[in-house]
Amino acid sequence: MPAETENERFSTTGRSRKGEPLVWLTAAGLAIGVTMALGLFLLILVKGAASFWPKRIELFEVKRGETVEMIAGYVTQTQERKDAEGKLVEELQIFRGNKDVNGEAFLYLDVRDIVSRSAPEKLLLFERLTYGPAIGEAVAIETKGGRTAVTDADFMGKLGALISENEKIRAKALYIESKQIGKLSAEIEEIGFDLKAGRIPAENAAARKAELEKQFAKLKAEADGLEDGMAATNIIYKIADGRERPLPSGELLSAYTPNTTGFFGRLGEALRRAWHFLKEDPREANTEGGVFPAIFGTVVMTLVMSLFVTPFGVIAAIYLREYAKQGLMVRIVRICVNNLAGVPSIVFGVFGLAFFVYFVGAGIDQTFYPEKLPTPTFGTPGILWASLTLALLTLPVVIVATEEALSAVPRGVREAALACGASKWQTIQRIVLPASLPGILTGVILAMARGAGEVAPLMLVGVVKLAPTLPIDGIAPFIHAERKFMHLGFHIYDLGFQSPDAEAAKPFVYATALLLILVVVSLNLTAILIRNRLKKRFAVSSF
Amino acid sequence: MPPEPANNPDPRRFDVSKATLWFDRFMGWAIRFGGIGVIIAVFGIFWFIGKEVIPLFKPGAVVKAASVTSGTTPVILGVDEWGEMPFFYSGGNKVVFVDGETGARSELEVPGLEGLEITASSYDPLQRRIALGLEDGRVGSFIVGYERLFENGEAKGVKPFITAEPWFELKNAGGPVTAISYGDAGSTRIMAVKTAEGKVEVIRLGLKGGLVGGKKLSVTAEVDITPQISGEVALIRASQNGQMVLVADKTGKVSYFLADTQGVTKRQEFTPFGGQGLAQMDFLFGGVSAILTAEDGTQEQWSLFRKTEDAERLFGMTKDFPDVGDGRVTFAKSQRNRTFLTGAGRGLSIRHSTSGVVRWEGTVDIDPAAAILDAKGESFWIASETGEARKFEIKDHHPDAGVQAFFGKVWYEGGAGPVYQWQSTGGSDDFEAKLSLVPLIFGSLKGTAYALLFAIPVALLAAVFSAAFLPADVKRIVKPTMEIMSSLPSVVLGFLAGLWLAPILADRVPSVLMLVILVPLSALLVGYVWCRMPLAFRNRFEGGNEWMIVIPFLALAAWIGWSVGPLVERMFFVYVEPGTGKTIADFSLWWPQATGTSFQQRNSLVLGFIMGFAVIPVIFTIAEDALSNVPKNLTAAAAALGANRWQVVWTVMLPVASSGIFSALMIGFGRAVGETMIMVMATGNTPIMEWNLFSGMRTLSANLAVELPEAPVGSTHYRTLFLGAIVLFAMTFVLNTIAEILRQRLREKNKLV
Repeated sequence: MPAETENERFSTTGRSRKGEPLVWLTAAGLAIGVTMALGLFLLILVKGAASFWPKRIELFEVKRGETVEMIAGYVTQTQERKDAEGKLVEELQIFRGNKDVNGEAFLYLDVRDIVSRSAPEKLLLFERLTYGPAIGEAVAIETKGGRTAVTDADFMGKLGALISENEKIRAKALYIESKQIGKLSAEIEEIGFDLKAGRIPAENAAARKAELEKQFAKLKAEADGLEDGMAATNIIYKIADGRERPLPSGELLSAYTPNTTGFFGRLGEALRRAWHFLKEDPREANTEGGVFPAIFGTVVMTLVMSLFVTPFGVIAAIYLREYAKQGLMVRIVRICVNNLAGVPSIVFGVFGLAFFVYFVGAGIDQTFYPEKLPTPTFGTPGILWASLTLALLTLPVVIVATEEALSAVPRGVREAALACGASKWQTIQRIVLPASLPGILTGVILAMARGAGEVAPLMLVGVVKLAPTLPIDGIAPFIHAERKFMHLGFHIYDLGFQSPDAEAAKPFVYATALLLILVVVSLNLTAILIRNRLKKRFAVSSF
Repeated sequence: MPPEPANNPDPRRFDVSKATLWFDRFMGWAIRFGGIGVIIAVFGIFWFIGKEVIPLFKPGAVVKAASVTSGTTPVILGVDEWGEMPFFYSGGNKVVFVDGETGARSELEVPGLEGLEITASSYDPLQRRIALGLEDGRVGSFIVGYERLFENGEAKGVKPFITAEPWFELKNAGGPVTAISYGDAGSTRIMAVKTAEGKVEVIRLGLKGGLVGGKKLSVTAEVDITPQISGEVALIRASQNGQMVLVADKTGKVSYFLADTQGVTKRQEFTPFGGQGLAQMDFLFGGVSAILTAEDGTQEQWSLFRKTEDAERLFGMTKDFPDVGDGRVTFAKSQRNRTFLTGAGRGLSIRHSTSGVVRWEGTVDIDPAAAILDAKGESFWIASETGEARKFEIKDHHPDAGVQAFFGKVWYEGGAGPVYQWQSTGGSDDFEAKLSLVPLIFGSLKGTAYALLFAIPVALLAAVFSAAFLPADVKRIVKPTMEIMSSLPSVVLGFLAGLWLAPILADRVPSVLMLVILVPLSALLVGYVWCRMPLAFRNRFEGGNEWMIVIPFLALAAWIGWSVGPLVERMFFVYVEPGTGKTIADFSLWWPQATGTSFQQRNSLVLGFIMGFAVIPVIFTIAEDALSNVPKNLTAAAAALGANRWQVVWTVMLPVASSGIFSALMIGFGRAVGETMIMVMATGNTPIMEWNLFSGMRTLSANLAVELPEAPVGSTHYRTLFLGAIVLFAMTFVLNTIAEILRQRLREKNKLV
């Protein structure tokens, strides 16, 4: 209420003491509520950002009974644990990498066992394609031609050059594998279906298939050759217990010396990691690499959803507000539509599975893809069904927002339009809809925010933990509405609760959560801003 | 003079263009059509979900499908997997097969008889094995098999064959065998045999042999159990797990023998019908329950279970079925679930043992002497003594469903009493699905209750302060902040609850308890101290900022509470190790010891707190709206009459807005009931029924998310999950409707004032 003035509130505390502690109790309620909201955002923000921040690698000297063990790694967590007597003991969780050597990437250290801690400058963090990062000192680069020892003045420079060169080779190999080979195998598959459906004669199919397979083999050999070339060079590094290990250069993604870089160097490294997180595909059961397919899936799903929900929601709202006879029936419908917004999302998911997937989808398969059966095409969860399910879920949001926007258009404006001789549809089209456009937009954005953050129904209608292909790509027909997809929200659930290595996945979960929250909150803020501007406009124009 | 302008204006100049009118009409209809279509589509959702559920509540139906004549008097009736070609065995040296469609008759020879007369036979439909006893005291068996025939890639007809099995000689008993029963669990098998001399023996068979040439079936033990049976033996049955034998005597006394590593021992003797003889006794599928029918038609189910946790597994009566009636008792068990076909004379019924209901009841046109259910449970055959046979198709896709199964207490096999239980899938084929929705509904309510316990006070207090005391410009920021909190993806909240908060709180329960006490107290204390300050001091501050002033005090109280927690734990929550008497101050150990309930890391405490993030903003926003919309003239009047600011809130605002606040609570409840991801990730998902704060639960919504992707389409499990969805939907829809109506009435009431 903008018109509210100071003297309408009970702001002055007055003389009376009665009930005053209770007033403070209500104040505490608000304080707790606001603290919770802000605290949660802050927690995710800090934890999410921290997951990219490169930590200093320390070398711990740890007492193990009689012997002393050297452990290199960085502290990921300091926590309390109860020992056998029920006393709280401080415990460090250390990431020491080298999963290929140690089996576990994480280690818990009792603070009392640590003899000494130091941060040697020589320690490096190698990011690898498999087994997660390795931590150790570099020793040499070994090629067939010779060996560059770490004592070489330009060792780091050469290592950097090797890494960027390998990156190019990997990109090329990836292009061959995913684009060219992918296209070929899709074509080969297509021939099989054509043959089954009797669209092409058998001899043509066989000849074409043989030729394609020849190309396939050639490309495969080319890609393998590239990878073999990278495997010929090894980086030798020494882990904390003194053992030397080779690392094929094709496995190496980046090498980084956290203990010698300053603040800005580390900031740069953090940004680099964040960028890789955004643009890369996941590796190692989603615990390494990036979340690009999940971002892509979330965006495509949300956009397709808004494509469905906007026209239908707006038409339903225009009907309810402008065309339907306002009476008991419309009131009941309106209450029901309102209530639909409160129906649990999982119920919509259940419907989506039964109706879209098993009923409509299976029907489409029977009619249009009988040659592929019993392998379902549309009769299985996919991005189209997920979008449609979420469109139904968010429909009430759009209807309610649009109705509100329509009813906020002053009666006088409509009457003026009608008085000028405009027909009903002309009034709606030229006067009412433009005036209520911001309100409709608010509804659509709110629907998108709700849709982007919803996970439960998706678990039933199309989301998967790892989708090998994107729903839109360069292979005809380019848009694959039947494909399964990855989603940021489901990624969080999967990483946190289904991952084989939940500890290693934790930083990624926080980072993904941060990303998702940023998306949802920025959508919401946009909607709120539009709504506030809208209120001002109508506050002026109403009469 | 210029010529007057022609004064004949176009008479149609006020007409609207045809195109405009046409387009207007077109759009009018298009929008009507589209709008009504969308609304119908949205409500079609619930019709569609309902459609999936309805088959669960349909009773079974039976249709006569074929009638053939075999020309023999069957002792044993069997059929192939698809119910196409029954076989009739009358105890001779031939098995007669009749094609159910054409009536064509064929015969196969019983192998290995050597001309001896068969004196006893029995049939095990699971293995399709006929066990035989001969006049010379030998026992053995053969298996009737069917081969599927194909024509042009389509299944067409079956071809029967017989597989011979070894014969065994009884060492302790000679003479003709008069009764036999064979139980087969693969590597361990059991035979129960009665001879003409009145001897009863248990023969244990085992698969033995080297790696080469396969394994050989041989007798591992032959035990004479005659001395342990008092009366004359009437019926003997061996179970499908190859370990149990039931023997009923003429006086209706049943003895239960168990063959385990300690040999064959009598474990129990029970009298099901008070001395009345038994007309029928047979194990059900799974071999844990037996159906017993008395001579007067009374039918009961007896199952193995432990009366107390460490007691032995013994038989006890678990279900009482309706009488089958008078006449010769028919019985045939299903080979895939707990259904059985039973009846007396011409009156037959299909019953299901889990829920104890009669699925179908009807009469047939012949007097059945033998009956058999096919392996898929889609049809049954009956045969009369005159050799007439009938095939009936069963249309009963969900025999284990029903109101009793979903909402009532059911005595499941192996349980010590009727319970509410949800366990939809199991490891083995003979698993008995436990489909009670009650634990899930309970779980939903429990989760909601603990969520609201925390959310309601915070949300309502915040709403009161925000509506009554907060300056408008601050409110413009605070309210959207809370609203955005409600749009937080619940998957993020769930993950924080499960992975971040639960491990922290697991060791810190006493600290949390201290927080719950100290934080509100500190606010009250600050208020108390504040209003005892001199007026001159108080007047220097303007009201409305109390919520910010109180934050440091709350933080201080929270810090104190958190630090004091371990001290409190050492004082009150000390666990005493039972063996050694060692004391450990640990709440998570103390709680199970003190209360006898469990302590889990992912518990209702964690859940309640995290659900607060989802529920508080919902309740806050609606309650705040209701309180803010209390007409200003009412509050101003109260203030003018001398009420202080709290009295205005307490006596005017709260009563006037009460229905709005109530509707806020309802909507908060709805949000909490339907919340899915938090429930999946933070509750542990065990379907238990206890109000324990430190244990988890399994909610309807989480259950749907976890189980539906794996449920086979159209199965009972699948449809039961849909029923769960409907229950969930109904709960929220009803609550939301009540809330909406209350809110609308409140709006009208406030308009009038």
